[in-house]
Amino acid sequence: MAIQGIDFAKLSLMDALDLAILVEDEAQERYEEFAAQMDQHRTPQAAQFFRYMVENEAKHGRELLARRVQRFGDAPRSVTRAMIFDVEAPDYDAARAFMSPRKAMEAALASEVKAHSFFVSALPSLKDAEVRALFEELRDEEIEHQELVKIELAKLPPDSGLSDEDFVDEPAAQ
Amino acid sequence: MSATGTCEYQPKDYKSDLKPIWCPGCGDFSVVQGIYRALAAIGRPPHEIAFVSGIGCSSRIPGYTTAYGFNSVHGRALPIAQGIKLANPDLLVLAAGGDGDGFSIGGGHIAHLIRRNMDITYIVMDNQIYGLTKGQLSPTSQKGRTTCTSRYGSLEEPVNPLLYVLAYGAGFVAQASPTDLVGMAATIEEAIRYPGFAFVNIQSPCVTYGEEAQQIKGLKAISESLQSLGHNPADRLAAMDLAQQYGNKLHLGVFYRNPEPPPTYGDLVKERQTLLSKDAPPKERILDLFIKK
Ligand SMILES: Cc1ncc(C[n+]2csc(CCOP(=O)(O)OP(=O)(O)O)c2C)c(N)n1
Ligand code: SF4
Repeated sequence: MAIQGIDFAKLSLMDALDLAILVEDEAQERYEEFAAQMDQHRTPQAAQFFRYMVENEAKHGRELLARRVQRFGDAPRSVTRAMIFDVEAPDYDAARAFMSPRKAMEAALASEVKAHSFFVSALPSLKDAEVRALFEELRDEEIEHQELVKIELAKLPPDSGLSDEDFVDEPAAQ
Repeated sequence: MSATGTCEYQPKDYKSDLKPIWCPGCGDFSVVQGIYRALAAIGRPPHEIAFVSGIGCSSRIPGYTTAYGFNSVHGRALPIAQGIKLANPDLLVLAAGGDGDGFSIGGGHIAHLIRRNMDITYIVMDNQIYGLTKGQLSPTSQKGRTTCTSRYGSLEEPVNPLLYVLAYGAGFVAQASPTDLVGMAATIEEAIRYPGFAFVNIQSPCVTYGEEAQQIKGLKAISESLQSLGHNPADRLAAMDLAQQYGNKLHLGVFYRNPEPPPTYGDLVKERQTLLSKDAPPKERILDLFIKK
């Protein structure tokens, strides 16, 4: 997880909203990539779950965008994607060939935990009251997202204790 | 189109319709994203870019871009890239491949592109293993590493790609990894902008045959940005000193950038052509040059 060139003490509400949108965009794109990887490797259940995450991230992104537009219209954005990396998006190597739905959900849960710690760790540096309130809200939402994933996890049959590798042959040479 | 009338490219403009068949989680997925971003920042249209690779999982990469691509022969990305650059110097030429492709079978070519200062950016996806052929020892595998071709542990010291190219005099040497995609994209962009041979070693984990310590979590634990260390990229000896820690530390960023880049081979060829062109015979009499008077 990295944030570059952002001085949290000077963060304006508009920048904070834009930053939050970019974080959602990045996570959405990473889940899209993971879903495509799962399709390619015939792992439809994990692909389906990653698409569910794509929808979640997109929905949240749209909500934040609506707030940003309502408050600041189309004022030019000063934060860019080059300033953030892996805030809410799972690490690149969190995907695995033939991963079970459980493993896919655990990867998403870990990312939501990561995003929560991002907002928690940024809070002490924030000076603007509105930005602080936004970050507190986003922090709490990450807990809600974790709960959503936990609900999906609870719907799964109990874990057999076997790992994916117990079922899968070594990948064939490409 | 921008206000100044020039085209502005987005990373997605360099993404082809071909779906990567790398194993899910492979580090090369992030490398291709880094390349899309770097190319968008450079802003050359895809048809002005030639992307050459050898053979290996990583060498599939040109196909996932909209540039002209050539997934060539194992170890031969660099001579082919060199030929393309000499035939059409206006092209932006990228070469890429694995550590096996670049430092084992193709290892002999690097020295020559460096001493000629070919204006080519060479990206090696260093996963310390032969991925495509299912996990054999590669030239950058750690000593002691057990694989299907080293059942009792490798007896060999690994090649150090950074020291290797620095020692031959490469003008631009850098390292990146998927632990920092933003930094990776910036480093690739800088390498492309360097006028001459530029080398970027990317520690790109193989999730299928790689060791635990070489996965993203392990890489994060040993990574350190060269900028944060206060390293001066104009200092070649300091770069060589830091490069010695390859394998133990993951230094990210630019090790060395020649502050006064020498002319490229292409520049010298052009100069020679200009010099000789006034006395040059017409094309149809060119063979006369080889006939003793
Ligand atoms: C002339 C020749 N020798 C050997 C091979 C078999 N071969 C294909 S890819 C490869 C090594 C792949 O490792 P690397 O270049 O590190 O790329 P990776 O797959 O790890 O990305 C080998 C030995 C070949 N294709 N051609
Ligand atoms: S075998 Fe390794 S290098 Fe090849 S695609 Fe799979 S993870 Fe990547």
